[in-house]
Amino acid sequence: MWVPIVGLLIGLFIGWALNIPIPGVYAKYLSIAVLAALDSSFGGVKSIFEEKFNAAILLTGFFSNALLAALLAYLGDQLGVDLYLAAVFAFGVRLFQNLAIIRRELLSGWAKKRRALKEKRDSDE
Amino acid sequence: MSKLSNWQTPVFITFLLLGLLITIQFRSQQDYLRDLPQRTTDDLYTILSKTSDKKNELEKELQNLEWQQNLLSSDVSADETVLNQMREDITRQKMALGTVPVDGPGVAITIESDLSITEYDLIDIINELWNSKAEAIAVNERRITSWSKIYWSEQAMALTIDGGKVTFPCTIRAIGDPERLQSGLELLGGVLDNLKFYNIYPTVEKKDKLELPAAGQYTAKHLTPKAD
Repeated sequence: MWVPIVGLLIGLFIGWALNIPIPGVYAKYLSIAVLAALDSSFGGVKSIFEEKFNAAILLTGFFSNALLAALLAYLGDQLGVDLYLAAVFAFGVRLFQNLAIIRRELLSGWAKKRRALKEKRDSDE
Repeated sequence: MSKLSNWQTPVFITFLLLGLLITIQFRSQQDYLRDLPQRTTDDLYTILSKTSDKKNELEKELQNLEWQQNLLSSDVSADETVLNQMREDITRQKMALGTVPVDGPGVAITIESDLSITEYDLIDIINELWNSKAEAIAVNERRITSWSKIYWSEQAMALTIDGGKVTFPCTIRAIGDPERLQSGLELLGGVLDNLKFYNIYPTVEKKDKLELPAAGQYTAKHLTPKAD
């Protein structure tokens, strides 16, 4: 449960400490890559809740989505089409879906626990 | 929630990378926003007015510094003027003292015979030349200065100037106004007129250019300028 949060914090810290400069031109592509990475990460968390977790899918998805998203945005820039918007839309929608699923799972897990606790208390009485 | 036990490591790695990406992106985005094209018009206007204020200040400073530079360089040129003037003064004083060779128009008096000329005659001639506003006088190759001694040497049995024998024919050269010098010498009842009694007939020649040698260095050991 705490593993993703700790990983995120360590990653943030490393990124802050390293201070890797990215030229302004590439900032846009990196932002798409970040969005893809966010999507993959939450997808991973969701799959844990759904008990369909697969490490290979998560890792390949993480890297290939990020890279492909950046490449797609770059290609779109070269062609004069705002393809990065497609990436933003696709990943954005999925991100919210994943978050919604995670929230529901968490809520239902919490509700189950409460019900179990209540039943236990009822039976005690 | 985990019947799957091996989910921790991959999730940890992905989240770690995610954090890394987010910070990098955050940083570069901050830098990007600080770039001028990303600023709002108001921001840009503020920056512009600040910068132009600073520019004005710097221009003022530049002006001030240029002014100072002008002042200093004019000081230097004033110093140079004073220096040149002083050099000129020194040269003039040296000419007057007789410690530098000089040239100019004047007269040359040639005395052929040494038979009956005395130191008094020579002194008379020189005095008359000074009197006629001669600016420099030399007897043969000896410059007459304010410390020149003209006397009859018993030892050498000769007319001497500063210890050097005066050889004949003797030429006295004086720089000054040639007309004035000549008329002064040839005054009726003057120096040359008197010499006629002794059968001495010096010739006086006006010259456009005479070159007079320098006397030895003047040394003043005991003199100090009197305080005003």
